[in-house]
Amino acid sequence: MMRTPMCHLDSARWGSRFRLPTLLAFLFLSLTFARLAPAQAIPYQRPVETAPQENTIGGGYKTPPVQKPLPRDYWLQMLDVMVLAAAMGISVWLVLKRRSRKWLLALTTGSLAYFGFYRQGCVCPIGAIQNVAVALTDPKYSIPFVVTATFFLPLVIAVFFGRAFCGGVCALGAIQELVLLKPVQVPRRLDQALGLLKYVYLGLAIFFALRPALARDFLICRYDPFVGLFRRTGAPHMLMLGGAFLLAGMFIGRPYCRYLCPYGGLLAWCTRLAHRGVTITPDKELDCGLCTEACPYGAIDKMRAVRRNCLYCARCYASCPRDGELAHAKAQLVTISAGGSQS
Amino acid sequence: MSEDLTRRDLFNKVVRGTVLATMGGGAAFLVQKAHGQVVWQVDATRCINSRLGEVGVAACNLCTTECVVSLSAVRAVNEYSKCGRCNICPAYFNITSAVDEHGYPSQKLCPRDAIIRRPIGKVDPEDPANNFYEYLIDEQKCDGCGKCVIQCKEPLGLGSIVLRVRYDRCVDCNRCAISKACPKDALIRVPVT
Repeated sequence: MMRTPMCHLDSARWGSRFRLPTLLAFLFLSLTFARLAPAQAIPYQRPVETAPQENTIGGGYKTPPVQKPLPRDYWLQMLDVMVLAAAMGISVWLVLKRRSRKWLLALTTGSLAYFGFYRQGCVCPIGAIQNVAVALTDPKYSIPFVVTATFFLPLVIAVFFGRAFCGGVCALGAIQELVLLKPVQVPRRLDQALGLLKYVYLGLAIFFALRPALARDFLICRYDPFVGLFRRTGAPHMLMLGGAFLLAGMFIGRPYCRYLCPYGGLLAWCTRLAHRGVTITPDKELDCGLCTEACPYGAIDKMRAVRRNCLYCARCYASCPRDGELAHAKAQLVTISAGGSQS
Repeated sequence: MSEDLTRRDLFNKVVRGTVLATMGGGAAFLVQKAHGQVVWQVDATRCINSRLGEVGVAACNLCTTECVVSLSAVRAVNEYSKCGRCNICPAYFNITSAVDEHGYPSQKLCPRDAIIRRPIGKVDPEDPANNFYEYLIDEQKCDGCGKCVIQCKEPLGLGSIVLRVRYDRCVDCNRCAISKACPKDALIRVPVT
């Protein structure tokens, strides 16, 4: 047991004893070489055995620095987390307080630009499910603080206010929200049945992520239909899948979010505990049902918002004659006509 | 009925508290476990192109073809301190091509012309073979095809050129697409240096 370290010590000492004369000879040679080089070249054979260094080359030669571009600055990554938190705060405020679809659309567009096209869809809490699952179980795998924060922040918000992340923040949701032009209602039974798919997907994603390191696969990221569009490059079949989702998304409200998004499953579960969420003003209700028709996500059931399905899009407010911008516009019309009749 | 409501509220509060505490605990565990940032990097001792002993194999260009970003995040890097600064660099010239009138191979090896060759100091016109040459790699052109890497290796070169991930282009995929394809599992997670 004791021999091995001794051996190493010996060889190290031998090495250092050899190194000094070699170094001196090397230095001497290099100096002579530097002196003589202009006058008379010393003939030698290439390829060389050892790499010439600054002192061998002489003439004030400096070895160029090896290019090492650094990854994105840490403070910029922290900024991403702050933007995420701020966007969710604004989303909650716009939907619960301002009840404004218009401003929420502006936020959605902004989030799509920032998280989608600028950050190219990474890091997102949907994919972070897998990293968190692996980091929780594999002692050799760890994730940076940024990923942890990105994963937990939307869940915490969901526990208090519902799926504010889905509304104005998630880039995958935003791109689908913006293409939804002619929403059709999916039959409720079918909607519920398809909604179970996301839990199957969640289970599969965690199962594949928890396999041993070399067999590990991150399904959610691999089959993310929109990340190729954000990066404007990718495998043709994935780009086509993204295009197909967007095409279907023009008529079926947010197909990926409602039927496949595994993070949506987690958020839906968290919203069961939410103590505030979207309400459709039961105190001044008309029972006209316009909001139910306006909701493309089947999230209004018997004139009440279903929090686990509500994606914070604020369409119900926009369609309501007693609420939101439409109501404000009506109120103005009423005052003008009232003034007109008085005169 | 009001008693029922408060009991339900209390239950809700307890459940919410438990869920929040669990999430907080999980987050705290993950944060204390985290040790800095890890990134994908090519392990030069595993990569076919740079690994010693792998002679006579064709250059592997999976890093170029598999990477998800348009110009691969992997590119060749010359470790200048290890570079032999040869007159006829086997990574710069296609040494199997015909020799031109000056005695140099007539073709360059790099398909994208990403290597810059320039003499160090004055060139003695009588004996250019004994001059040193510097080989710089143009980061904007290189796509990591590995042709130069495999040539700058025994028996001709000193193995100063290796493939590396440029962190500014790498989007840090959860499971690097190259690592899935790499036959030698040469793409590994390392701390940023």
